[in-house]
Amino acid sequence: MEETRLVQATWDLSQCKFKISGDGMKVLLEGLREGVFRGIKCPQCGTVYVPGPTFCRKCFIDIDEVVQVSDEGEVETYTVELADVRGNPVEEPTISCMIKLDGADTWLIGVVEGIDWQKVHVGMRVKCVWKDASERTGSLSDYTRFVPIGD
Amino acid sequence: MRNVAIAGVGYTNVFVSKRKDMNAPEMIAEAVDNAFRNTNLRPEDIDAIVIGNMQTFEGVNLPHLWASEHFCGVGKPVMRVATGGTTGMSVVHAAYYHIACGLYDTVLAIGWEKQSEGDSQVGLTGIVLPEALALVPLGLDMTGKQGMVFSGGGSTGAASFQAMSYLAKSGGTIEHIDKMAALERGNAALNPYAHLKVPNCKPEDIAATPIVSYPLRFGHTCPTSDGATCMVMCSAEKAPKIADKVAWINGLANCASEPTTGNLLEGLLTDPAEQMPAKIASKKAYEMAGITDPKKEIDMAEFYDGFAHQSMMWSERLGLFDEGKAPEMLDKGVMNLDGEMPVNPSGGVLCTNAIGASAMNRVSECALQIMGLAEGGHQVPKKVRNALAHGWGGLFQYVTVTVLGDTPRKM
Repeated sequence: MEETRLVQATWDLSQCKFKISGDGMKVLLEGLREGVFRGIKCPQCGTVYVPGPTFCRKCFIDIDEVVQVSDEGEVETYTVELADVRGNPVEEPTISCMIKLDGADTWLIGVVEGIDWQKVHVGMRVKCVWKDASERTGSLSDYTRFVPIGD
Repeated sequence: MRNVAIAGVGYTNVFVSKRKDMNAPEMIAEAVDNAFRNTNLRPEDIDAIVIGNMQTFEGVNLPHLWASEHFCGVGKPVMRVATGGTTGMSVVHAAYYHIACGLYDTVLAIGWEKQSEGDSQVGLTGIVLPEALALVPLGLDMTGKQGMVFSGGGSTGAASFQAMSYLAKSGGTIEHIDKMAALERGNAALNPYAHLKVPNCKPEDIAATPIVSYPLRFGHTCPTSDGATCMVMCSAEKAPKIADKVAWINGLANCASEPTTGNLLEGLLTDPAEQMPAKIASKKAYEMAGITDPKKEIDMAEFYDGFAHQSMMWSERLGLFDEGKAPEMLDKGVMNLDGEMPVNPSGGVLCTNAIGASAMNRVSECALQIMGLAEGGHQVPKKVRNALAHGWGGLFQYVTVTVLGDTPRKM
């Protein structure tokens, strides 16, 4: 039996056209330009989604009440990437956190910097670091990272 | 509705990283052939076939059609089921419904995967790629740290969020995950059909492996395997005519919640360690099987544990231990092969992971334990009357449960 043969090929992702309606995402992005996080609240159960869908996933009703939430929050869970995708150790580990912003019910994924990875813990308080107002464009890159604040 | 029995099981001769001596249809045929040998049945005895594997992993479409001759499916009703990680158990459930409804008497359930022929990571990427790519025009930098976080580092990256949340909630430690992994690798050494076998595996051996995505180490993760499983299932009327020993499917259920990983566009609402679908599905399946106290009535369990922390998590979420108690039970030896609640005597998915067969092997292993036919020393020493099989997958939010018994349930 012959060994596995490799055939080099490319996957042209421009052929994939993934689209979103994005009304809830638009609310978030417009807030990011102003340096705040905004989501959508369900009037029936009070759940605050950041970014918001346009319907409540618990009550199955249309929702459109825009609310501002804090740019501080709590680490709900996290992981630390100590190696790259090839398995090689990295010089500076990436701390990826699931963060529940104060006032929100959903988790946001964010990179936390400014702390030794071994000191990160669930329940840790963090705050968003924004780009300068002049550099913000209403994009997901307007907030770059989170840093710990006193417990 | 009729009761349904498992009359026999056929595995491929081995589960390994690369099954180089045969292609996928030939590998499926090996498991089917072994099922026929173990039950003394012939292809003409089979009324219908249900088959499944993980979508996209081998990079081929419609495998149920190009392999149909190899599982004796020509001229017969064939259904393919693909529900990701849970595929194998969804196949069993579909075969159950074929028989329980009265349309068919004897049905083959086949689950398989030949991961060496494809790229599983590419297949997995396809799950979150549409969401991630939709975010690129909105400012997501896929090349920087943000991109690394959003792509999640594959299934281990996503599972590590779950593992850390579970540890924080249960009070367990990374040493508990080491211990759980060592227990299962050791069990696998007693199972001739397991892939990763480490005789007398010690927690220190696991602790010596590098961290992939903290808190999960290389030793906490499952392999990618080639292999297939074929189960012969039949009606209660047919069972005494074709088999001396059978195991009964007495309860089954599945349940989904919203995605607990990914879901970048609409806010992640659910803790990946909560696993509400496991609680709901197991409750339904226990009720159907007439089990009122699973802690006492279930004799052993096989979980879908791609990562070692999950065996502790599932044993709580499926009602075998109180919430947060699994690390303590592990320390007390309750989950050992000879403990009060043996968990994954086969070594689990942690040691053998031919994905389309993985969730099916949970059912087949429970059936063999009930029949007393588990080979190579991994038969649990006590009498197994009721067993729990569990499958897991999707976006960390889809659970299948099957409760098996040594006697048929009262209708």
